[in-house]
Amino acid sequence: MSKKDMRSISATLAAATCTLLGTGAPQPVQAQEEPGWDFNTALLYYGEQDDRIQDLSVSVLTRKVFVDDRILSIGLTVYALTGASPNGALVQSVPQTFTKPSGKKTFTTAPGELPLDNTFRDSRVALSLDWQQPLGRLYAFNVGASASAEFDYLHVGVNAKLSRDFNNRNTTLSGGVAVAQDELDPVGGVPVGLTRMRNVDERTGRTRIESKDIFDVIFGVTQVVSKNFLVQLNYSYSDSSGYLSDPYKIVSVVDGTTGDAVPLPPADGPSHLNFYEHRPDSRVKHSLYAQGKYYMSGKVLDASYRYMTDDWEIDSHTIDIRLRWPVGERSYFEPHLRFYSQTAAEFYHLSLIDGDPLPGYASADYRLGDFDAITAGLKFGWKIGGSDEMHVRLEAYRQSGNLSRSQLIGNQADRDNYPDLNAIIFQFGYMFGK
Amino acid sequence: MRRLVLFAAFLSLFAPGGAAVADPPLDLPAYAGKVVVVDFWASWCVPCRRSFPWLNAMQAKYADEGLIIVGVNLDEERDAAEEFLREFPADFRVYFDDSKELAKEFGVVAMPSSYLLGRDGEVRERHYGFKVRQQAEYEARIVEALNSLE
Amino acid sequence: MRSFFLVAVFSFIGVLSGCSSMGVEAWERNVLAKDEMQLTTDAIEAATDDHIYFSKEASSGGRGFGGGGCGCN
Repeated sequence: MSKKDMRSISATLAAATCTLLGTGAPQPVQAQEEPGWDFNTALLYYGEQDDRIQDLSVSVLTRKVFVDDRILSIGLTVYALTGASPNGALVQSVPQTFTKPSGKKTFTTAPGELPLDNTFRDSRVALSLDWQQPLGRLYAFNVGASASAEFDYLHVGVNAKLSRDFNNRNTTLSGGVAVAQDELDPVGGVPVGLTRMRNVDERTGRTRIESKDIFDVIFGVTQVVSKNFLVQLNYSYSDSSGYLSDPYKIVSVVDGTTGDAVPLPPADGPSHLNFYEHRPDSRVKHSLYAQGKYYMSGKVLDASYRYMTDDWEIDSHTIDIRLRWPVGERSYFEPHLRFYSQTAAEFYHLSLIDGDPLPGYASADYRLGDFDAITAGLKFGWKIGGSDEMHVRLEAYRQSGNLSRSQLIGNQADRDNYPDLNAIIFQFGYMFGK
Repeated sequence: MRRLVLFAAFLSLFAPGGAAVADPPLDLPAYAGKVVVVDFWASWCVPCRRSFPWLNAMQAKYADEGLIIVGVNLDEERDAAEEFLREFPADFRVYFDDSKELAKEFGVVAMPSSYLLGRDGEVRERHYGFKVRQQAEYEARIVEALNSLE
Repeated sequence: MRSFFLVAVFSFIGVLSGCSSMGVEAWERNVLAKDEMQLTTDAIEAATDDHIYFSKEASSGGRGFGGGGCGCN
C-alpha cells in the first residue's frame, strides 16, 4: 500500500525524461573515451526535517564504449522512500482529521502541526538506455529510452538527439526531443478536483487511472571561447497534458474573517472543510539555460543560470556555482552553492474562502508557491588506482516561502503557514572501469 | 617546394628557447624518394592511443619499402608527451613541435591529423581523426603511395 | 511568454553570429580535454540533483548536451 506524494512521483518520473534529454549520456561529440566498460555508482541519502520524506537510493550507470566512439549507456536506480509530505492543508490551532487516500481510515494532525499526508515506505525502480554514435566526422546522434515503475505509477519515454560541430569543432549545435507517457493508479483512485474530501467508504465519482503526455524539445549551442573557457546556451520547451494534479493534495477552506478552517459536523471523515486540488490539464514551459566552465590553473569554476517561465505563471531563476579545487595530484574539494527562487502559480492559494465562488483551478501545494531556496554543499573526491575515483558530498537544502502579510487572513498571521523545507543530501560515489 | 618550406619551418625548432631534444633534427629533404606519414598527436588525445600501435605496425611492415612515419607532438608540456610515450611507445620518429609552426604550416584542424606525403614530397592525402574501421583503407593508400613513382 | 520566446531566439542568433570567430586551434585543447572541464562531470550527480529539485520545485531540466572537450576524431 502506498500513499505517495503524487507530485514527488510524477516529478521524479518526469525527471527521468529530463535526465535523458541531455544528461543521461552527456558525452561530447568527439572521441573522449577509450573502448571498454566504465561504471558510475552512487548511494544517496536525502532526508527532510521532522517526519517528512527520507529517501535512500542506489544508482548504477554503466557505459560500454565500442570502437570508433559508439557508446551504450545503461542506468538503473532503485529507491526506497519513507515519510510524508505536506498535504496542502493549513496549520490550525485545533486538531484536524483527514480521510486517508485509501478512503478506509482517517488520520489526525495535532494542533499547531503541519498536516502531512500519511505515506508508507515505498520503492521505485528507474531504468534508462542510451545509444550514442558519430555520423560522419562532424555529427553525432543519441537515441534513448526511459522507464520507471512503482506501485501506483508508470512512466515510459523515448528520446533522440543530434549534434553537429562547426568552426573547427569550436561550436556545437544540438537538438533533442523527448516524448513520454505517465500513468497513475493512485491508492483509492483519482478524486474529482475541487470537490470536498470524502468521508470513509464514500464512493464519489473517482476514476481509477489517469495519464499524462509529455513532450520536450531542446536546442543548444556549445562554444569554446578560449583554451580555458567553455560556454553553453540551451533553450527548452516542454508541453505536458493530461492529468497534472496531485490526487492526494487538498486545499483548506477557511472562514473569511478568522482565517481558520471551517469545521464540519462530526462524521467518519474530515473534521474541517477542504477540497481536493485541481490543476489545469495542460502546462507549457520555456526555459533558457546558460552554463560556463572556466579553468584557472588547476581549479575549475562551473557556473550556470536558468530562467524558466510557464503558462501557469510560474517564473523561476536558478543560479548554480561549483568550484573544483584540486588538492595535490589525486584529490579535490568542490564547494557548491545554488540559489533558486520562483513565483507562485496563478492558481496557487494558501486557502480558499468559505462562501466565495470556487475558482477554476486551485492548489495549495507549496511547490507551486512563491519561495526561495538555497543549497550549500561540499564534495570531496579522491583517485584510487589509475583512473578510479571515489567521492562524498554533503549538502544542505533550505526552502523558505515568501508570503506577504496581505495573503494571510485573520488568525493565519499567528501561525507558520508555509511549509518550509530543510533537507540534507549525502552521497557516496564510486566511479571505476576503463 | 613543400619540403623546403617544411624544412624551413622546422628550423624554428632550434631557435633559442626550443626544448633540448636528444632526437636528431627533422630533415625532410633527407626523405626524398620515400613515402612519409606525418602524424600530429598529443598526450590528451584519446584516439592517438589507438593510433600508435597501428602506426608502429605500419612502420615495421613497410620500412623496407621506404615508409617513414614521423609523429609530431603538439603538447604544451614535454612531460605530458613523454609520459604518454612511456605508456604507448613509438617505434617511429617523434618530434616535438614546440612552436607549433609545423602544425600551422600543415593546417592541422583536428587531432589527430595525419598527412601522407608521396615520394615527390607532395601531400597526397589528409586524414582527420583516427577510426579503427578506416585502418585498412588507409593502409591501402600507403601501399599505393609506396608503389607509385612519385 | 511570447516575448520570452523572442528573447530566446535573439539570444541564440546573437551567440551564433559571434561564434564563428571564436575558439582555439585543434592542438590547443589540452585543458578542454580534461574530465573536469566537461559540461557534465558526473552524470549520476547531475541526474540526482535534477530529480531532487524537480520533486521539490516547479522547474526542471534545462541542462544540455556535449561540445567542448578534446575535439578529437
